[in-house]
Amino acid sequence: MKRFTLVLALVLSLAAGFGCAKKQQSEPGYDDGMSAEMNAAIQQITDGRVYFAFDKYTILPEGKEVLRNKAELMKKFPSIRVRIEGNCDERGTQEYNLALGERRANAAREFLTSLGVNAGQMETISYGKENPAVQGSGEAVWQQNRRDDFRVTAH
Amino acid sequence: MKKLVYGLFLQVLLWAFWLSPAHAALRVDIYGPGQNVVSLALAAPLRGPHTEASSMGRGLQTLVEQNLSFLPFMRLTDPKAVLGGTLMDGYEPPSLDFKRFQLAGADLLVTAFWPEGDSGTKTVQMRVFETNGGGRLFGKEYSKVSTKELPEVADRFCADLLEALTGNGAFFRSTIAFTKSSGKMSGNVWLTKPTGRDLRQITNIQGKAMSPSWSPDGRFIVFTHIDAKSHALGVWDSSSHKVSRIRFPSNVVIGPSFTPGNKVAVALSNGNYPAIFLLNHAFKKERLLEGGNCINVSPSFDSSGSRMAFTSSRLGGPQIFMKDLGSGSVTRVSMNGGYNTEPNISPDGTLVVYSRMTEYGNRIFVQDMVTGEERQVTFGPGSDEQPSFCADSYFIAFASSRGGGRGIYLTTRHGGDAKKIPTGGGSASFPRWGLGGEKK
Repeated sequence: MKRFTLVLALVLSLAAGFGCAKKQQSEPGYDDGMSAEMNAAIQQITDGRVYFAFDKYTILPEGKEVLRNKAELMKKFPSIRVRIEGNCDERGTQEYNLALGERRANAAREFLTSLGVNAGQMETISYGKENPAVQGSGEAVWQQNRRDDFRVTAH
Repeated sequence: MKKLVYGLFLQVLLWAFWLSPAHAALRVDIYGPGQNVVSLALAAPLRGPHTEASSMGRGLQTLVEQNLSFLPFMRLTDPKAVLGGTLMDGYEPPSLDFKRFQLAGADLLVTAFWPEGDSGTKTVQMRVFETNGGGRLFGKEYSKVSTKELPEVADRFCADLLEALTGNGAFFRSTIAFTKSSGKMSGNVWLTKPTGRDLRQITNIQGKAMSPSWSPDGRFIVFTHIDAKSHALGVWDSSSHKVSRIRFPSNVVIGPSFTPGNKVAVALSNGNYPAIFLLNHAFKKERLLEGGNCINVSPSFDSSGSRMAFTSSRLGGPQIFMKDLGSGSVTRVSMNGGYNTEPNISPDGTLVVYSRMTEYGNRIFVQDMVTGEERQVTFGPGSDEQPSFCADSYFIAFASSRGGGRGIYLTTRHGGDAKKIPTGGGSASFPRWGLGGEKK
């Protein structure tokens, strides 16, 4: 009986060890214990970008639709925390672009707040033109860089 | 009398180049247009009568020549153009043959004398004469000079020379802070002399450093620092060589600038918009300098601290404005173009330099606050940005992509050919003049 107990303890400890190892190998931001619904929500919040016109921080109709979708998900999962990252294209100057990026991030935050999202779920940062999504020049590139990115920082 | 008149002519000629268009009439009225460069010759350095100094003497000569090549109003006389050569019997009249330098077109003659020889640690005497009458403009002795100190001695002599000629030697006494990028969201603060000497990195932190600004006493540099999560005010202390990273609740820190009173003005969030705040000596908010429901960034102050130039979107696109901090009145500075940013006011308060977006890229413009005249001082190619006035209110440093990668260039309030400051590899931006950064 003693031997059986010892073997059982060994098997259990090994099983626990494998369990830990599997958790450490998970993708960053992916939680095995998280519901598929939560995972999908995080994915949707992260994927949808909001784009802007040159030197503007007004949310365009398409952007409002993207934000409405995010708002529903953030209200459904109030544990989700999101960082809104404002960005600009390469044409403006760096200091002014930092300010413009901040306004773009704030514009999205204000719209989400107006839709009932708890302000405590959001933080903002501007990268100005320092973090382009696409390298290069020309309007096709610039319009992809005038954007708000959404990053889930906690859930 | 003739000597006096010629000496006066040189002084006024140099001042005429130094002064703004508002004062350019002085040059035209008295001396007429035409001559716009002063020629300077260097006699062979001596360590005894008719004995050339060949060790440190030659080294110092080369460094002085390199320095003076940065002055657009000064031309160095080719030694080969001096008939009979540049080796003199002595270092001051009557041993100097001014005629041969005059024939070569030189207006000024520099002599260097090493009385104890020019190897080891020695003293050097430098003198400057005008060649027409032989009058001495100035003379200085620099002691305890070794090979290592030669660049510093060259800078000191050139600063003294510039001061004797124009009343301001700040160019050669300055150290330029700038940022160098090594990739996306990565960059640190570096220092260099305007001539490219003493190039060194002073911060080494992850993230991107932007917009460095010197404290008036030369002890601190503040800058915007951005990493993936936050903005912060970076503070580099030259006495400890340490960097502090100060965060603010709004997570917005844009374009800090020291005031003449040794405090920092910086754009932080005023709720929804970036607004310009004055910080106290503990880097806490002291008071709002300029705010409202629009973007207000990039403060710059004249040497009196009574006026602040800044960028504002109050009229839609970004434009340059000036605020009288005493009365609170705000006036528009940039009247042309739809996108004017990055103002920098000259320390004497007479000029504001800024960048304007054009269809060919950004270009640098100077607005004369006395006459109201605007002048374009750079013409690309590439994009010219982030202009900054030297303490002499004459030289302007700016960043440009004209050479492919971004580098730091020099021009003047009058424009003219831009000269690149060698800053090594990497993308160099945000030049800001200061008088600190002594090496330890």
